[in-house]
Amino acid sequence: MNLPEKLIASDTVNTTCCYCGVGCGVTAAVADNQVVAVAGDNQHPANKGRLCIKGSSLHETQSSPDRLLSPMLHGKPVDWDTALDYGAAKFRDIIEQHGPDAVAFYLSGQLLTEDYYVANKLMKGFVGTANIDTNSRLCMASAVVAHKRAFGSDAVPGCYEDLEQTDVLIMVGSNTAYAHPVVYQRIAKAKEERPDMKIVVLDPRRTATCEIADIHLPLRPGTDAYFFNGLLTYLADHNGIDQDFVDTHTNGFDDSLAAARGQVPDITAAAHLCQLERADVEKVYQLFAQNDKVVTVFSQGVNQSSSGVDKGNALINCHLASGKIGKPGATPFSITGQPNAMGGREVGGLANQLAAHMGFDKPEDIHRVEQFWQAPNMARKEGLKAVDMFRAIEEGKIKAVWIMATNPAVTMPEAGRVRKALEKCDLVMVSDCIGNTDTAKLADLVLPATTWSEKHGTVTNSERCISLQKGFLNAPGEARHDWEIICQFAQKLGYGEHFSYSHQVDIFREHAALSGLDNNHSRGFNISALEEIDKKDYENFAPLRWPVTDQSPEGTDRLFTDGRFYTPDGRARFIPIEARLPVNTPAADQVILNTGRIRDQWHTMSRTGTAAKLLGHVDEPYIDIHPEDIERFGLIEGDLAVLANQGQRYFGRVKKSADQREGEVFVPMHWNGKYAASSCADALVNAVVDPICGQPEFKHSPVRISPFKQAWNGFLVCADDITPACEYWAKITLDGGYKFRLADGECPDNWASWVKNQFPHIDDWVDVCDSGQQFFRAAGFTGGRLQVVFSAATDKTSAREMRWLEQQLGQEIDANTRFAILAGIPGGGVEDEGAMVCSCYQVGQNTIAKAIKGGCASVEALGEKLKCGTNCGSCIPELKALLR
Amino acid sequence: MADLSKAKQKLLIVGNGMAAGRFLDELIKRGISGFEVTVIGDERQGSYNRIMLSPVLAGETDVPAIIGKPSSWYRDQGIRFVSGVQVKAIERAQKCVLTTEGNRLRYDHLVLAVGSRPAKIPAENQQLDNIYSFRTLRDVDRLLNKARFHEMHGRKTDTDALVIGGGLLGLEAAYGLALKGLRVTLVHRSGWLLNRQLDPIAAGYLKRALEAKNIEFMLSDEVARFTGTHELKAAEFKSGKHLSCKLCVIATGITPNKELGLAAGLKGERGVAVNAFMATSDESISALGECVEFKGDTFGLVEPIWQQCTTLAERLCNNIKLPFENNPVPTKLKVSGVNLFSAGEFLTTDEHRELVYQDDKAGIYRKLLLRDNRIVGAVLIGDARDGQDYFSMLTEKKDVTEIAPFLLMGRAFYQTNEQPDSSDETEAA
Repeated sequence: MNLPEKLIASDTVNTTCCYCGVGCGVTAAVADNQVVAVAGDNQHPANKGRLCIKGSSLHETQSSPDRLLSPMLHGKPVDWDTALDYGAAKFRDIIEQHGPDAVAFYLSGQLLTEDYYVANKLMKGFVGTANIDTNSRLCMASAVVAHKRAFGSDAVPGCYEDLEQTDVLIMVGSNTAYAHPVVYQRIAKAKEERPDMKIVVLDPRRTATCEIADIHLPLRPGTDAYFFNGLLTYLADHNGIDQDFVDTHTNGFDDSLAAARGQVPDITAAAHLCQLERADVEKVYQLFAQNDKVVTVFSQGVNQSSSGVDKGNALINCHLASGKIGKPGATPFSITGQPNAMGGREVGGLANQLAAHMGFDKPEDIHRVEQFWQAPNMARKEGLKAVDMFRAIEEGKIKAVWIMATNPAVTMPEAGRVRKALEKCDLVMVSDCIGNTDTAKLADLVLPATTWSEKHGTVTNSERCISLQKGFLNAPGEARHDWEIICQFAQKLGYGEHFSYSHQVDIFREHAALSGLDNNHSRGFNISALEEIDKKDYENFAPLRWPVTDQSPEGTDRLFTDGRFYTPDGRARFIPIEARLPVNTPAADQVILNTGRIRDQWHTMSRTGTAAKLLGHVDEPYIDIHPEDIERFGLIEGDLAVLANQGQRYFGRVKKSADQREGEVFVPMHWNGKYAASSCADALVNAVVDPICGQPEFKHSPVRISPFKQAWNGFLVCADDITPACEYWAKITLDGGYKFRLADGECPDNWASWVKNQFPHIDDWVDVCDSGQQFFRAAGFTGGRLQVVFSAATDKTSAREMRWLEQQLGQEIDANTRFAILAGIPGGGVEDEGAMVCSCYQVGQNTIAKAIKGGCASVEALGEKLKCGTNCGSCIPELKALLR
Repeated sequence: MADLSKAKQKLLIVGNGMAAGRFLDELIKRGISGFEVTVIGDERQGSYNRIMLSPVLAGETDVPAIIGKPSSWYRDQGIRFVSGVQVKAIERAQKCVLTTEGNRLRYDHLVLAVGSRPAKIPAENQQLDNIYSFRTLRDVDRLLNKARFHEMHGRKTDTDALVIGGGLLGLEAAYGLALKGLRVTLVHRSGWLLNRQLDPIAAGYLKRALEAKNIEFMLSDEVARFTGTHELKAAEFKSGKHLSCKLCVIATGITPNKELGLAAGLKGERGVAVNAFMATSDESISALGECVEFKGDTFGLVEPIWQQCTTLAERLCNNIKLPFENNPVPTKLKVSGVNLFSAGEFLTTDEHRELVYQDDKAGIYRKLLLRDNRIVGAVLIGDARDGQDYFSMLTEKKDVTEIAPFLLMGRAFYQTNEQPDSSDETEAA
């Protein structure tokens, strides 16, 4: 990739992207304490120069208008001492009165390993409770336990190269195209170079990832383990077992096979249970059996389930049985969601872990850690996992919670209930870089944390690769690093001498030392070779895959190459799996709600939502639904529909999609109270969890669906961020302002006063009223510059949006152009470019359609003509769809 | 009816205002060789454009520029022009008219185009000096002299000039005087200006625009009496207010000059009654312009009168019966910088669908009244573009359902919008 000009001209820094679990290296150009441009780091093993749209927009999401600059106690700014004294005193009181289990930490895969380490140490070693969990619970908990059960340690055996080198790549419940775009690009390129490589996608939805798939199996939601049990049976019946490997390196094969066969005796049964075509199932089973190089990638479609651990083991069983593990191009591969989900697992930042891959199930582990930390109040049992933790808050058993770098009021199942629980909680502390997330709004104490480009420390990606997320900008205002805040808090609690780190490297060394302590190949995570890393090497940390030991100082690409696992006997374990369906089944008038990511947003949008470019692709919450269901529920494509469950409502635009199975809808997980009136998907998610790992079943909640009976709809384009007085609104960030889509079940008495009341500082208005109430339009100006445009209509045709109009925001508008502003169209009738497809080069659908009409017959031809798809490439699946 | 096959018919036209002038043009267009045409007018000048009196007063144009037909023109056309003479009576039996000087002129066919006169107001002491109407070049001449005199003497009183009547003529007179540097107050009987053409909100915008041009207003009030010995000194109002002033212009409307015709026994009530072909109850006498009454209506704007001229010329020259239709006529105001347009219905009722554009700061107000999704009225102020287009839609009874949201933004928008998928967008651009 060519570096943007700015990047050549300025000082550059190598760091790591803060978004997904791919963990791409980023080269950032810095000038005047600002990131002015970014490009993919050519040297980084994860991306080798590539970046996705989110990554390549990092510099555009630098300055948030909502950046928190000072500690806030009950909504008022206070100094750090006051803030921490308040929090610590409350913590101390509650612990004294109710014991250490009455307090909790809720952390995040966004934290750096060093932050995570000290938080975990403070809670488990000094406060004396394991009530410390993380949003990785919502993401990776199933895979963690599946790994531990099979391998004796939470370790991903392979690396990204395996995904390129394999002959058969099976992606299960993983929309890599959206969730891990750079990994997807690597796979797509490999497939292009070796067209014989087979790609299979198992997903109830036909996702963008299916664009490169040879076979898509739209299986019944939640039946993955049936599918893999069927595969195990098939392997046994079709000469697919690597008997040598099974005999030498594993235990428990016979029981597992018996369990699999008992439930799924043949292909026909598998096809029936998974609601798939028998021939398709057979084809995939054959591919698996007849190729040595098979990689099975699995992600949230497997993990976010009431039987996620078993699903993971069902697929790992197949790899163990056929010996497809520990070899180039042959491995099961869990791909993580967050930038440091793996780092959090390494330090033990989950309620059922201790530290450095040690657990509460072994007294010697507890003792070892206690000694190492010189911990006065060592926790000795597992703490409450996320769902139970917020239940305990609701019940008043936990009275103080400190939430760091995450937004559980939006992301937890039954998010509405979590919100209420936090409202009641005695002390809610939130550390974040943004002061007004839905969660921060509920907090007593909000602490300003540093963010990407300011904070400094390590992260570990999906392939065990540790890289440095570098701090190279000065933090604004009073913002501090999370590890500093935690250590200062520890000091206020009286544990200062154990938290007296002067630099991140001190923490990293301690963490590395613990990983090697009495390890002897008993624990996968071992970076003992780095326990004396000097500060300079740490500051220039080159990406390394763990284990990093004296025997492998350059890191380790693949695990288990010698067939030795981290179990006491060194053998991998088969786990007999009794596959189970999701817990809640839909009633006759319900559909199954599935949730997930979209391409250009990250989590609750607090960062990506601030860049207009990233809202160009999908700008509003929506509902993907099968055409038959549109009929069945009396919906209209493009209109709003309402999903309802547990007293919560999700508003979304109806999108007709034959990619959905009948009876199942998909909604994006990102929208929240900052970006929409009522479109928080997780508020509708049932809080059903996997009994072993506690991960919630995000992919399967029965909900009701109905058309939204709107009396009017419209849009509001304005320079100021407001909360429209409207039943439905969705906020879309523009360059220089915001656009709100609006709808309500009732018309206001007077549209003119409705809009003017929300902008009391504007007194220069122009409007068009219709006594017939078909439409209303208004525009407001300050000093002749356009500040607000409002358009409402009681029918669907009148309120038309135009990008031209949005571009006028903040511009000086003469009297004549005011007519055009109200009409919403430029006087000369300029063509609108339509919905944004290529966010990088801002190429719209109409422009692309025109080019296709004009003879561009391939993605390459379009790229040559319009540049679309030539930067990050994330829009290529859509370009292909437009070409069809 | 004139018999054209024999000797030349004597066609006598009484009146030499705008209607007569236009009628002559229409006759000449069709050929007047069969006629011996005589025009009698009580003003000295040839036919001039009365509409342009306000620009003359305002100094935006001069007298020669508005005289359409100087005396030489009549000579050149072979038309006998009798100026400065008034007709006292019509002697229908003898087919002649009697002038105030006692002369008789014979006719085979008589056309009455005697126009109208300023309407009277009930105020006392209207005989005082410096109280004028605003109807003729002579009125304008006297006003200009007075204004010029005033300029030389500076201003000391509350107000210099009082204009009575907030209709088109009154507003134009007030504007002309204000432009001459006089302090002008306009008094209007109704609660809002142009109450025959505008709704109260539009009138408010108009008032604001005119106030910016140094005109003050007294609404819902009337002059009860003028005071002064010989010259006007002040006016007293029904509200009890009192205002000293040096001159007054009364522009409260017009009264058709029907007396000449009705005294001769022609039918009529508000004016001389005509049928759709401009014939009076006497087949040898036709009438047109502001002196006529047609189906109960009288006329004060030029458009329908132009049509009357065509109808009558067609009948007299070509014996073609082209009926006159009294269609709605849009109103415009000739005040520089004040764009105003009003056509059709202008007061909103519950039966209307009303579309209103308001730009307070720019002083723009545009209102369309719809009935059954068809435009039945348009009121535009501040920006009167598209008025004609709305007016065409009104007369064509065009269904505007589809373009309603864009109508008030102007032609560029609703015409673009009519064919959103048109492929020649580049041409439009």
